[in-house]
Amino acid sequence: MPALAQDLTVTGKVTTADDDTPLPGVSVQIKGTTRGTTTNADGAYRISVPANARLVFSFIGYTSQEIAVNNRSVVNLKLETNSSVLNEVVVVGYGTQSKKTITGAVTSVAGDVIANKPVQSFDQALQGRAAGVNIVTPNGVLNNAPVIRIRGVSSINGSSSPLIVVDGLPINSGDVSAGGFTVNNPLGDINPADIESLEILKDASATAIYGSRAAAGVILITTKKGKEGKAQVSYDGWVGGTQAFRFFKMLDAQQYMDYKNEAARNAGLPNQFFPTLNPDGSVVNTNWYDLIYRTGLSHSHNINVNGGTKDTRYAFSLGYTNQEGMIQKNDFSRLTGRMNISHQLNKAVKLGANMTLANSFNRSPNTGTTGAFSTGGLGRLPLVLAPNLAPRNPDGSYNINRAANAMGLGNNLTGPGGYYNPLPDLDLSKFTSENNHLLGNVFADINLLKGLSFRTSYGIDNTTVEDIDFRNSIHGESGNNGLAVNIYTNIKLWNWQNYFTYNLDFGKNNFTLTAGSEAQKYTINRWGGSRQGLTDPFFTSYQGNFTTNNPPAGNFQSQNGFLSYFARLNYDFDQKYLITLNFRRDGYSAYASGRKYGDFPGGSVGYRISQEDFWKNSALGSIVNEFKLRASWGRVGNVGVGDFASLSLFNSGLYSTVPTFVFAQAGNPDLRWESSTKTDLGIAFGLFGDKITGELTYFNNKVTDLVLPEPQAPSRGIPGNSIATNVGSMVNKGVEFAITSTNIQSGPFKWTTSFNLTTLKNEVLALANNNADILAQTGGLESSNIVRVGESIGSIFAVRTVGVNPANGQRIFVNAKGEQVQYDHSAAPARRWTYVQTGEVAPAITGSDRVVIGAAIPKWYGGLDNTFTYGNLDLGIFLQYSGGNVIYNGTKAGLRDQRPWNNHTDVLNRWQKAGDVTNIPRPVLNDNISNGSATPISENVEKGDFIRARNISLGYNFKNALLRRANISSLRVYAQVQNAFLITNYTGADPEVSTNRNSNIAPGVDRNSTPQARSYTLGASINF
Amino acid sequence: MTILTSFHAPTRRTLLKAAVMAVLFTPLVTSCNEKELLEPSPLTSLSDRDAFANPDRVLAQVNGLYASTKSGQFLGGRYYVYVDVRGEEFLNVTNNGVTALQTWNHSNNSQSNEPTNLWNAAYLAINRINLFLAGLDANPSVVEGTLANQYRAEARFLRALSYLNLVQLYAQPYTKDNGASPGLPLRLKGEVGSGNNDLARSTVAEVYKQILDDLNFAEQNLPANYATALLNTTRAHKNTAIALKTRVNLIMGKWADVVTEANKIVSAATPFRAATGVAHQLQASIGTVFTNYTTTESILSMPFSDNDLPGTQNGLASYYMPVIGPGDYSLNPNGILANTAFTATDARRTSLIRNDIAGDAGRFRLAKFPTGPVHKDFAPVIRYAEVLLNLAEARARLATGVDEQALALLNAVRGRSAPNAVYKAEDIAGKDALVNAILLERRIELLGEGFRSNDLLRLNQPLPAKGTIQAVPATASVYIWPIPQGEINVNKLIVPNP
Repeated sequence: MPALAQDLTVTGKVTTADDDTPLPGVSVQIKGTTRGTTTNADGAYRISVPANARLVFSFIGYTSQEIAVNNRSVVNLKLETNSSVLNEVVVVGYGTQSKKTITGAVTSVAGDVIANKPVQSFDQALQGRAAGVNIVTPNGVLNNAPVIRIRGVSSINGSSSPLIVVDGLPINSGDVSAGGFTVNNPLGDINPADIESLEILKDASATAIYGSRAAAGVILITTKKGKEGKAQVSYDGWVGGTQAFRFFKMLDAQQYMDYKNEAARNAGLPNQFFPTLNPDGSVVNTNWYDLIYRTGLSHSHNINVNGGTKDTRYAFSLGYTNQEGMIQKNDFSRLTGRMNISHQLNKAVKLGANMTLANSFNRSPNTGTTGAFSTGGLGRLPLVLAPNLAPRNPDGSYNINRAANAMGLGNNLTGPGGYYNPLPDLDLSKFTSENNHLLGNVFADINLLKGLSFRTSYGIDNTTVEDIDFRNSIHGESGNNGLAVNIYTNIKLWNWQNYFTYNLDFGKNNFTLTAGSEAQKYTINRWGGSRQGLTDPFFTSYQGNFTTNNPPAGNFQSQNGFLSYFARLNYDFDQKYLITLNFRRDGYSAYASGRKYGDFPGGSVGYRISQEDFWKNSALGSIVNEFKLRASWGRVGNVGVGDFASLSLFNSGLYSTVPTFVFAQAGNPDLRWESSTKTDLGIAFGLFGDKITGELTYFNNKVTDLVLPEPQAPSRGIPGNSIATNVGSMVNKGVEFAITSTNIQSGPFKWTTSFNLTTLKNEVLALANNNADILAQTGGLESSNIVRVGESIGSIFAVRTVGVNPANGQRIFVNAKGEQVQYDHSAAPARRWTYVQTGEVAPAITGSDRVVIGAAIPKWYGGLDNTFTYGNLDLGIFLQYSGGNVIYNGTKAGLRDQRPWNNHTDVLNRWQKAGDVTNIPRPVLNDNISNGSATPISENVEKGDFIRARNISLGYNFKNALLRRANISSLRVYAQVQNAFLITNYTGADPEVSTNRNSNIAPGVDRNSTPQARSYTLGASINF
Repeated sequence: MTILTSFHAPTRRTLLKAAVMAVLFTPLVTSCNEKELLEPSPLTSLSDRDAFANPDRVLAQVNGLYASTKSGQFLGGRYYVYVDVRGEEFLNVTNNGVTALQTWNHSNNSQSNEPTNLWNAAYLAINRINLFLAGLDANPSVVEGTLANQYRAEARFLRALSYLNLVQLYAQPYTKDNGASPGLPLRLKGEVGSGNNDLARSTVAEVYKQILDDLNFAEQNLPANYATALLNTTRAHKNTAIALKTRVNLIMGKWADVVTEANKIVSAATPFRAATGVAHQLQASIGTVFTNYTTTESILSMPFSDNDLPGTQNGLASYYMPVIGPGDYSLNPNGILANTAFTATDARRTSLIRNDIAGDAGRFRLAKFPTGPVHKDFAPVIRYAEVLLNLAEARARLATGVDEQALALLNAVRGRSAPNAVYKAEDIAGKDALVNAILLERRIELLGEGFRSNDLLRLNQPLPAKGTIQAVPATASVYIWPIPQGEINVNKLIVPNP
């Protein structure tokens, strides 16, 4: 730009206030104009300005400064870092807001916290990081979608998982695999290394802008955007190993035969279990864990390029990871490309796009994740299969009974039933689920008037999933004639948003108004084929040759649409008195005409007492530099129903060969949203110049209009004998506390701590059918959870047991009347149940003798993160904790089952003679009652309290001339351990478990689950 | 508000207008209007509004009513199995709790799966029938009058068939007290929304009255026949309704009415055949009936095809034949097999019973339903042989001595399979002997077709002992099935069976 006559040239250098290092890329702007420049690599700038101009210096992460030129030709400046948490801008729905003036409950998590962790999806790395957010990894199987609960369970039949929004685009989440045994979390398609920050919206004020999808909270993901300046290239990579930990100590072959034969003799039978000899004469002694688990090797690589000019900014990345799980043939790989670009077209218009293309590949054998009682589940088989059997015969063939499709028996006279030899399926079958996922949006920001801007943004989230399920024809899952099922799913979502943002400041009054509309459509198409009767083991795919073509598999078609209007007003007076009002009106396709729209209001107020002079001038004010009171209230929704739940429908079929239509769904035209009324009270504070910052919040979420199946008299002939109706209600309340502190900062040593704690109490208030209990099932076979009014949702429900009778070694149960009865499996069937007091025959214990034992949802949880830095060395220790809940350890029932299954070594402590005091009854072969397999018992209910070292990392930053000569500006190398240790009294594999995965009503169950994994990684981050 | 610079003003004003339009009319500018977004139609299911849109859909619904009664839990398979295994002719082999074990050993309670699932399936069919009848009335112009009445008749025939089969399982026999016992909740109106749960049980007599009303209407309005043999076997026609009426009246002990009805479709002279409508008559060989499913002997059967199967553990072959299915039940060697009336050379023994199946330990197996592992055998609902035996029994009971016509009818059925063992008039000691011979013949002829325990109940006889299972006297609570708990929980007016 040519200098005008009256201009003078100003030069200068911008440095950091901390240590005077030059700051490149600082924006230097003449106030009130669009003229400006940026500092060069040495922090220097040169600009022609009017003599009376004021210069505005701004740079991300630093406090902007405004300086009058006053005819000077040199203006140097030190910029202060803007490190205080409360000064940060946080991303909120359809915009950003200053953390200082925010009055809703929002937790921010920086992207570097979750980057470089040996996980498949970002949500797995969020565990323990944010107050109010409880995340459970169901087991150690790769890319198993974690169970995310923001302030508790928010539905019974609907989803309790939060809405996930990426760069403003609400995306599809939940397991997308439709076949086989593979789990496939589409959030794993997002490369954690691409994430700049995560914001978790928790209360009504923050979430109401998302209206009918916000009852379970909202997680906003912001990906890395380009920054002005020369292109910066960085590489992050790690390699690592993954192993299971906390295996059970099972009986070895000799212990198994001795113990099980004792059980057989106690049952009045001769010995049943005899050794099989190896060719060298030794006794076969198989540890089945060894055949199923492994040390998996994993690696990950990310290249990021980031830069831009004043007008055009870009960030792109390429990521690849390949991870082997702790279980054989359980693999995950992902290739991602991301491009974020924005361009200032002219003064009014900015265009941009954020795009990710991902290919992810999941492969998993039957681990039991999709069926707890599966007879091929690899979580279960090492606990069941006899250790005195070999996996292979001496000639190398599989040890199987082909006709019965079960393990061979060796010299044993009886076997565990239809359990498979795991090797044929591991060797010959294939279960995969592969995604191609395009996620992105294009947008235009239009600056219309001073303070008024408009954004239009069109996003798509398209996923195609190919599920391949191939089962070999030798043995195992196919029932040994071979089966192939391929299913293809095409999920498409588009979303178009248009909204205004208007900033108006006059005097000390600051207004920000956001208002707009949004339309969204989701469609899913799924189809598949099934073939069976493999003609030759040569074929290993659906495309091979089979004798029978089965009916199509997995066919499904559905769609839904949203049409919404929303508005938000933020107002503050002098950044002291704060008000936010939100409103959203959502139209949703699943509801009947006349009921399609719902209104979702929210609001909050805040008062920053610390801005008052009396506070600032007080002794307290010199310590407590920031103190904010806030309160919020609002009502948000949850869809809770199927796409066509309001319609009465006829399904098609055949009467032999002619077409039919039959009445198949009684719709409910009165259905409406499940409603969550959220109330929050909180304080936020900063001490000692924000060296310590924190928040304390009380929350109360009352969920009403829960959609439940209202039972109908079966004689009415309503399909399914129920109609979905808004009848239930429950409440979640608790307290969140979070604090971040810089404990020590002296010289090269720095120690910072972050801590968060959440308490949570859930209570069910109303249910369908006059508050009838809802019993939840595990794997379709066992029922150990109940939803009952007055109790925490999904409480553990089991028959109370009070140990083993020292007189006779029989387990003592307490029946519904409170009487003690004992069980002897060796007695005649009619005389097995007797009263402890009298020895007379008693009625058998049944499911109706179960009582509520305790809450399955943790009553408190959180995380503690400590970071120590000494010079270039840094050490991070992140602990996660949770507790107050009980777990139904159904796995323990299996480990002590007296069918011909293997047992845990704790059974060696069994009752043997009168007077023995033990918790293990006298073993009787085929007794599946004393251990709790037949009906859940309180003996198998355990406390779920634990502390876990989620992540320990040690890093070193290299900064020296040698690196600079190699054009490397920085290099960090690190080592970390994920799941380093676990402190718990829980005797199962891991207290962090969810056999029923994302179920709202059957949490806290451990049934034949695989353990969690421990990972060791070595990594490097290089900036060029 | 001030506009930033005058140069850009028009551009910005235009943009502002566009932006306002975009926000307000997002649905319009998305080229996708609000209706399309918010009122999508399901692509694989039909809205109830469209179910009567054209004659093809009405016909598809009629076929849907047959398909509903053909549920694997009901007339597609399990109904016949339950009725048979409650009797003494079968022994349980597999001890599998999901394949009629509790029905066989008389241990069902109100929460048991079998009474619950059958009740649900039958009442689902009944509600679909009632909704169809209401829909037909509400859409009078879709199909023309005669055809509409035919469809009504088919629907009411199926309702009668469903109630008849329910009332025999869940209520005391009509013959116990002339139908004074509690029968069924008689649902005659279509049910869609919530509410209307409470409905008391009508008496057994009221249920039978409704069944006969429906069948009389059906008889009048059903066509005499259809275009193909397949349709004549798988859709109800006049003679189907008449044939079922012979059964209903037999169950009620109304012998004269059995004769009246049967005479409409049984000629006075041999070979016995229906003179009008579909020309029903016995086939020369019993074996034909179970290989060619659409002969004139099969008055009504439930058809299956590769793409319409009874479902896992529902098919008749699945219960009775090992190797091609689990083969849960074998024939009781001490049942009808041991009866001398069932001669060694009887074709029903030589061609329909086997004990030579490898690995089956020489068990006797009913081979009427031989197809598997995909069980496509049609399930017989009414065979002409039954009508002849119904008529024979009624005549025999009405007569004072040995009714010659009854004997002729009995011998028509018996002589086809055991020509050397037909009864001679002089061999029959009297009326009672004839009745007993007919009852015995029913056990032989209709074995495995869903008759045995119903025949015992209508005669108020105990369910005999078998294997380790004790006999059940007519006074026992398990003599009939319990009303399911799901009904008791919600229908406040239902009275459980004691």
